[in-house]
Amino acid sequence: MVAYLSAIGIVALIYALLALGLNLQFGLTRLVNFGVVAFFALGAYTSGLLSLQGVPLAACFVAAALLSALLALPIGLLSLRLRDDYLAIVTLGFSEAVRITIQQEEWLTKGVQGLPGLPRLFAGWGSPAADLAIFALLAAVVALVVAGTVRLARSPFGRLLRAIGDDEAALSALGKDPAWFKVQIFMLGAALFGLAGAFYAHFITFITPDQFIPLVTFYVWMGLVMGGTGSVRGALLGSVLLMVFLEGSRFVKDWVPGVSEVGMASLRLAAVGLALILVTLYRPHGIFGGRQP
Amino acid sequence: MTMLTVNTVTRRFGGFKAVDGVSLALAAGEILGIAGTNGAGKSTLFAAIAGQQPADEGEIRFDGHDITRLAPYRRARLGLVRTFQVPREFKSLTVHDNLMAAAPNPVGERLLNAFVPTRHLRAHEARLAEKADGILQFLNLARVRDVQAGGLSGGQKKLVELGRVLMLDPRCILLDEPFAGVNPVLIGEICDRVRQLNAQGIAFIVIEHHLQALKSLSGRMVVMDRGRILAEGDPQAVLDDPRVQEAYMGGVA
Amino acid sequence: MTWIDLANLLVNGLMEGLVVALPALAMTLVMGVNRFPQAATGDFMTLGAYAAVGCQVLLAMPLWAAALAGAVATAAVSALSYQLIFRKLAGRPMVASMLAAIGLGFLLRSLIAFFAGHDQRTFDMPLVRAWNWGGLRVLPTDLVIAGIALACLLAVFVLLYRTSFGRQLRAVADSADLARASGIRARGLMLALWLLVGAIAAIGGVLLGMKAVVMPEMGWEFLIPAFAAMVLGGIGSPVGAVLGALLLCVAQELSVPLFGPSYKLVLSFAVLALVLLLRPAGIMGRIQLVR
Repeated sequence: MVAYLSAIGIVALIYALLALGLNLQFGLTRLVNFGVVAFFALGAYTSGLLSLQGVPLAACFVAAALLSALLALPIGLLSLRLRDDYLAIVTLGFSEAVRITIQQEEWLTKGVQGLPGLPRLFAGWGSPAADLAIFALLAAVVALVVAGTVRLARSPFGRLLRAIGDDEAALSALGKDPAWFKVQIFMLGAALFGLAGAFYAHFITFITPDQFIPLVTFYVWMGLVMGGTGSVRGALLGSVLLMVFLEGSRFVKDWVPGVSEVGMASLRLAAVGLALILVTLYRPHGIFGGRQP
Repeated sequence: MTMLTVNTVTRRFGGFKAVDGVSLALAAGEILGIAGTNGAGKSTLFAAIAGQQPADEGEIRFDGHDITRLAPYRRARLGLVRTFQVPREFKSLTVHDNLMAAAPNPVGERLLNAFVPTRHLRAHEARLAEKADGILQFLNLARVRDVQAGGLSGGQKKLVELGRVLMLDPRCILLDEPFAGVNPVLIGEICDRVRQLNAQGIAFIVIEHHLQALKSLSGRMVVMDRGRILAEGDPQAVLDDPRVQEAYMGGVA
Repeated sequence: MTWIDLANLLVNGLMEGLVVALPALAMTLVMGVNRFPQAATGDFMTLGAYAAVGCQVLLAMPLWAAALAGAVATAAVSALSYQLIFRKLAGRPMVASMLAAIGLGFLLRSLIAFFAGHDQRTFDMPLVRAWNWGGLRVLPTDLVIAGIALACLLAVFVLLYRTSFGRQLRAVADSADLARASGIRARGLMLALWLLVGAIAAIGGVLLGMKAVVMPEMGWEFLIPAFAAMVLGGIGSPVGAVLGALLLCVAQELSVPLFGPSYKLVLSFAVLALVLLLRPAGIMGRIQLVR
């Protein structure tokens, strides 16, 4: 039971980390990133591959965050010239390109077979102590990120980000070039996505390319939008709601007779789709709620 | 001394010339009024001067610099700023933060300094806050200092825009229809502020449809019609010009 | 690589390009008028294909009738989605429409998978042997498919450029305010547009299914290529969409000997990124719609 609860808690915290990153990019700065999962995947595979080479986990995690941030640089630069909707499709395309590349470059990533046997965090501690320890560590990391985000949002830099999100052209007319700020926040968010990926990889210990599909990106979006974008509270609330939904749907399967595992997955996807439609239609404050930390 | 020159500037949309070979000059410390019917090209001219849109032909010089191809943010840094016809306040920021966001603050706005603000930076921020408060006081916006800008009235939003550009210590302000949708009392207040700022040496170019207010404010006036300058000179003389009167017969006066 | 190999790739690319031109056209029409990328276009293709398969299998309809039925069904769903969803999101930031479109795509795709299963299906078509002209290999069915796509495109172009409906559509695409002021009834026009794009996407899906297989992911996989084709050709330009699709698919085919078939989508993405970086207006578009 403890193992089950801590597993849910860990996944919830991983989503929270993703939501916090997206909150920086979209909640504050209004950058529409439909490619969150690309950086999540990069973080997972970077950390995973390095760990299999014997690199200590702490270094793997740092590398995961750094590499994701680095890859966000060209995408961020591309975003400077793009309007909302183009950025959205380009980042979506990017995430699929990343997934396909991971799938194809078998010499590096073992392709569709994936990377099994990744070292777990706190491997020597045994269950349930290890799970609780992972949960505690993640919780501490999330708390740190929350504190950092709040600090950031209240700082002159954060003020600028919100101004960019409100009206980039007006800011430009006031003598400030939004470009570099947007790139920086894109990279910072990506670093968080990469870190989340590393935690994910060393929790489930077996990663394959088709865990990193666009659906994951839209889980995060759905959570963020339901919770209320632009606020850290919203990001955290959204992650909880998301977990309730994901875990809840697992139980629904036990009540509904004759639904296979695959069928359940389809129904869950349908529910996500419906939720996205309904939330955008009927919870407008979810999408552009007040942007206070 | 000439501060801004616009030299045969043309801006096209497809085959249509929104601004057609317009030339004008602004002297330092002057208030120039631009009037004209709807679609005369006034806002497009502003967009070309401030940089939101490119000039397809011609040249624009500010303070000796050729700014024709310069990005808007660079023009603002040179001291040439503008407000917008429909106010573009930062909706989610308070009035005070609107001004703070506008204030040049390259060091304070570094990412790292968000997490480890030094005492030096805090002092700088305090100075900017004081300056912002001073401007808010001047514009009679002190009461709404901590109100979210998105919730203000149209007239107040225009004042916020003015407050923002003042944080840059500008040399020349382009005001795009500052009186549109603003109640008469506030119009008078805005005029007073503009005159006070002008007395401190800031030059203005004002686009307006309220011809009476524009006339009382401007030292010189220009009337545009269909992308071209129709008349130029003393405000009353320009308004009395038969060509101007004829142009307005079919337009908004 | 010989000239014949090159020619084969070229011909294959052109034929696939004609089919991809359909969803690209559908996307560019919605983009020009409603000003957002209709991210469910791919899944409309899937819907059309499955509806047609369903009609063929369950109702024993001949292929042409099944395809038409599929087009009608998808057109209806498309118009409904406009009426219930996208019309209401018109005044909101584009993110809203995009998220809703992604959601709609998920919904369609998953319901199809739930009811029809994940197994690949095919259309009941005659088995044919490829024609061979000195090494140039062409499947007669592929030729027919390309021909149907071409006919469909021509029909749409006649509609766009020779009817008052098309004129009004293009007017609204240029300026919604202008169109409204001159008395064009926007509402009916929009519904007609969404019926049309639904039908176009559905036919694209059926043709795709005829060329290859029908499965729940089939349309979604063409979203990025369709978008890349639209951008390459110039957003809002119907001719551009077709040109872009042809060019993109030829490029994709030519990339296969170099990078293998699995990297086609990556190439689409690369083309997309490059075009937006270097020439955002595409071949025939106007830059105002991009920045």
